[in-house]
Amino acid sequence: MRRDRGRDLRVPRLPAGRVTAFELASFPADLLAVDRGRIERLVTDEPALAGVEVEVVAPGAPVRVTHILDAVEPRIRPDGRPAFPTEGRAGTGRTNRLDGVAVLSCADFPGEERPLHEQESIVDLEGPGAALTPFGSLTNVVLDFEPAEGVGHFALDEAVRRVTLAVAELVAEPTLAAEPEEIERFELGPGDEELPAVAALIQLSDLGQLYYQYLYGTPVGQAGLPRALDPAELLDGAVTCGEYHWAALRNPTLFFQRNELVRALYSEHGNRLRFAGVVLTRGYEQTAEDKQRAAERAADAALALGADGVVITTDAGGNSHTDTMLTCRACERAGIKTAVIVAEMADPEATSPGLTDWVAEADCIVSAGNAEELVDEWMPARVLGGETLLDGTPAAAAGRVPVRNYLGATNQMGQGALQATAW
Amino acid sequence: MVKAVHYLNQFFAGLGAEEAAETEPTRLDGAVGPGRGLQAQLDGVEIAATVACGDDYFAEHEDEALDRLLALIEAEQPAVLVAGPAFGSGRYGYACARVVAAAAERGIPAVTAMHPENPGAGAAGRALVVPTQVNVAGMREALPVLGRLASALAAGRELGSPDEEGYLPRGFRRNRFAEQPGAVRAIDLLLAKLGGEVRSEVAAGFDRVPPPAPVQDLGTALLALVTEAGCVPQGNPDRLPTIRARGWLRYPLEGVESLSPEAYESVHGGFDVTLANEDPNRLVPLDTVRALEREGRIARLHDAFYTTTGNGTPVESATRFGREIAAELRDAGVQAVLLSGT
Repeated sequence: MRRDRGRDLRVPRLPAGRVTAFELASFPADLLAVDRGRIERLVTDEPALAGVEVEVVAPGAPVRVTHILDAVEPRIRPDGRPAFPTEGRAGTGRTNRLDGVAVLSCADFPGEERPLHEQESIVDLEGPGAALTPFGSLTNVVLDFEPAEGVGHFALDEAVRRVTLAVAELVAEPTLAAEPEEIERFELGPGDEELPAVAALIQLSDLGQLYYQYLYGTPVGQAGLPRALDPAELLDGAVTCGEYHWAALRNPTLFFQRNELVRALYSEHGNRLRFAGVVLTRGYEQTAEDKQRAAERAADAALALGADGVVITTDAGGNSHTDTMLTCRACERAGIKTAVIVAEMADPEATSPGLTDWVAEADCIVSAGNAEELVDEWMPARVLGGETLLDGTPAAAAGRVPVRNYLGATNQMGQGALQATAW
Repeated sequence: MVKAVHYLNQFFAGLGAEEAAETEPTRLDGAVGPGRGLQAQLDGVEIAATVACGDDYFAEHEDEALDRLLALIEAEQPAVLVAGPAFGSGRYGYACARVVAAAAERGIPAVTAMHPENPGAGAAGRALVVPTQVNVAGMREALPVLGRLASALAAGRELGSPDEEGYLPRGFRRNRFAEQPGAVRAIDLLLAKLGGEVRSEVAAGFDRVPPPAPVQDLGTALLALVTEAGCVPQGNPDRLPTIRARGWLRYPLEGVESLSPEAYESVHGGFDVTLANEDPNRLVPLDTVRALEREGRIARLHDAFYTTTGNGTPVESATRFGREIAAELRDAGVQAVLLSGT
């Protein structure tokens, strides 16, 4: 495709290392082996944790899981390198994955004064809410953490994230002695220059502890965003979740590991497009000037990848939707076409628009669904994670639950198929 | 058999053309004019009465006309109200839309029909609008759809999507599962856009609120403090939600000189409240406004402040909060508002 724009930043399109292939080997869920003793020993090593209840629940069980923080796909690397590295580089060589399994971390934060509050987060394994979240059709290893007496939310959050990622590696160990069912290979050869170059701009929340995402274990605010990332790194545990805002709009770790957008761009590479790469952008810039500057830098990063078009995603919502919209405007002004994925928050009884922010350049929007719609009541036989929802209602008889409380239901990286339409 | 009421303008009700456009709201027995064709399309529903109004009369006395028409309609206790079809007629279409919207607000299921570009098509609120051709040649096509939807409404049947049922979308956003994940749809839409075809799943568009004119003389003005920052008395005695408030609260300021951290806090769930809670005057600048009051730069501070959490609030709810708060302030003679947002 001919590129016709004022600025032409002729930088290499393939950053160093991009040509290295990354392989994801899939193993069946029945290899899952949960050794409670080893999980409890991981918890013993954490002063912030008093204990953990471990349960495995399968799709179709009459179970509701509440107070979920993160969801992680079990992964382990045959070469012994960590599956969720904090140093070195992810996205090379081979990583094993347990297909159809998620580790869910659940915790009830202490009632101490804190600036940001986790929001309710539910997975139903049966009933009308089960189809809303991808975890309703996975086998879930539920870790219900008990905080140590007097522990603060910082220490608790850090310990929970550390143990959850460690458990995701531990339960994948049986794959080391098994044969994979399938191997996905991620490699980007030089694409046909006639095809349009498309990049993914993936926004990560950086609002504060409990609303942080992490790049190689570092809060993304300290990770030099916006910056380009090899898409294979994203799929291989480089980005992990510590963002517990509205559950439906959350980007749990598993959604980076199995990112539909990046995987679809890989599979389209050389067919309908050239995959130009991933730019990680920061959500929740705190001033108007910072928001504008960050949006322009994100557009510059997309230009540097040679992108003709970008898909722009959002993490959480409200304030971060303004970052999304300004990034859309900055890209369009730089001559890069955009498609934006956003969740809607429209009162089900109202006819008013459900977007928090909008710019006229956002003329190509994908709806990730209306997070405010109510889901019919369902009474689970059993509740894991916490018997009482954060709003005080009993989890076993919560009445109609809004879509926004279902983990990942209206994900704004386009992970699911939910869509709001005009009625 | 349940009852329907049919609304028509003077022309379709057979009362006359332009010369009868000033006709006041009136009631006729049974089905009249296009109502006869409509009756043939109704299932289990009988048109008990026709109410009519001249187009000019409605346009010039909208509130009064609506009140009188609604009184005539409600007297029949109908299971459904049908209005039109109005086709491309702007005045008639608008009247049909306002009548069905008002009926729907009062719990009477209502449906009208008109050309999609009729100005009334956007004014029907929660009532249904069936799209028609631009002129009366579309009557034959419109009546079966109108009759089917009216029968469904009268029977209390749950309606399907606008596409399935043949009415115009009203602006509600309902979920369904698409065939492809959002990521794949985004790539498809982006490639189409790069190819010159721009499509969107969300027809966005925003109200822009123009800033009001400056207050002429603050020195004589009664000023009120309003915030969406979730500022409440310590302990949140009225349990203002941290997100998605369903209403607003009012707290007295008589005798209060400053918002101390011991007495006030923010329960807003959408920003880091650490600095706000160190000094709640950062949310609601009472200390500064009291100083301005002492200096005579404002005449007086209103004796209460108004608060909500503006976090995840649907625009329609926020608009209602604004209207309600503004009405109270206006009644209290407030001329200026300092609105602090977060």
